[in-house]
Amino acid sequence: MKLKVALGVFVWSLLISVMHIQLNIGWGAVSDRIAVMRGQQRAELLVGFLPVT
Amino acid sequence: MTENSSKGTLFHSRKFTDWPTVKEALISKEVGGVFILAPMAMQLVADGVPIKVVYLGHRDGTAIIVGKESNIYDFGDLAGKTVAIPSRYANQNILMHRMMREWGMAEDSIDLREVPPPEHPTALLAGAIDAYIVGEPFAAKAEVDGFGRVLYQASDLWEDFISCVLVVRQDLIDEQPELIRELVAGIAKSGQWLDGDIAHRMDAAEVAGKRYYFQPPELLKYVLSKPPDRVRYTRLTPLKHEFDEIMELAFEIGVLSRRVAFEEYADDSFAAGLEGTSWDLDFLPRPAGWDQGRAR
Repeated sequence: MKLKVALGVFVWSLLISVMHIQLNIGWGAVSDRIAVMRGQQRAELLVGFLPVT
Repeated sequence: MTENSSKGTLFHSRKFTDWPTVKEALISKEVGGVFILAPMAMQLVADGVPIKVVYLGHRDGTAIIVGKESNIYDFGDLAGKTVAIPSRYANQNILMHRMMREWGMAEDSIDLREVPPPEHPTALLAGAIDAYIVGEPFAAKAEVDGFGRVLYQASDLWEDFISCVLVVRQDLIDEQPELIRELVAGIAKSGQWLDGDIAHRMDAAEVAGKRYYFQPPELLKYVLSKPPDRVRYTRLTPLKHEFDEIMELAFEIGVLSRRVAFEEYADDSFAAGLEGTSWDLDFLPRPAGWDQGRAR
């Protein structure tokens, strides 16, 4: 019984995480973050501006 | 802003030509941050957009420009005239209303019209407006081209005038605060470098004019040197009492839909400690007298 509950919690957490990435973050962004953390890619940030001062 | 920080982060910049597109890019997460009008940042937060003001873009750097031969010599002469503003969400709009109150003028005594900043000088030249108030270099453009005259610099009317602020997305603040810290520190260093030596300003005008603004470097050199404090890039920490004044005025004249507390739309923690910091920034040693004949 305990094993079933633990497995259920694990599957539920996994499913929620996958849905969160799919809906809110995007797989590309996750892959970029991992690459930056592993030192394979440089962190990037795009900043917008108007040519006013 | 540099593309490559000393930590290896790539900071890219994207030029926009109008404020609504800037706003959309921020909401759609196309950009991580933007230099945006201070009251616009407040209204975005009031509308539920998760962003925070983390630093100022500059101080001053705005002027009211009238036709060179016009008979407008003080603020009172603007009564009954048409004046272009960059946006109703611009602090330039707030400044105009602040001045109307100061001069005892009715709120509608000046016809304020929203015109995209790059179109201000041509609108004045074409006679479509009597004056305009905008950030540089569009204020200086009419002056340099010989058909405009500065009625007031913003610093004559509102001490330490704030126009553009740097806002960043809340999710970046929560998930990558080190990235925002690096960005803000980089802008602070750039500001100290710019304000530290007029030669640095001339270099910046060359680079920004050719690579980012796509405007004549000579115009930017004029803006950054006539006089040197026409635009200032230091003391850029967002201060609560200054923003409170802007917010209150913006609410009173109907620009903001509700009052917004400083803590709701600003996070000054990234700027904390930067004001007193000094960096060794002159990476461009030059022989004596190298600048003779420049910046005239």
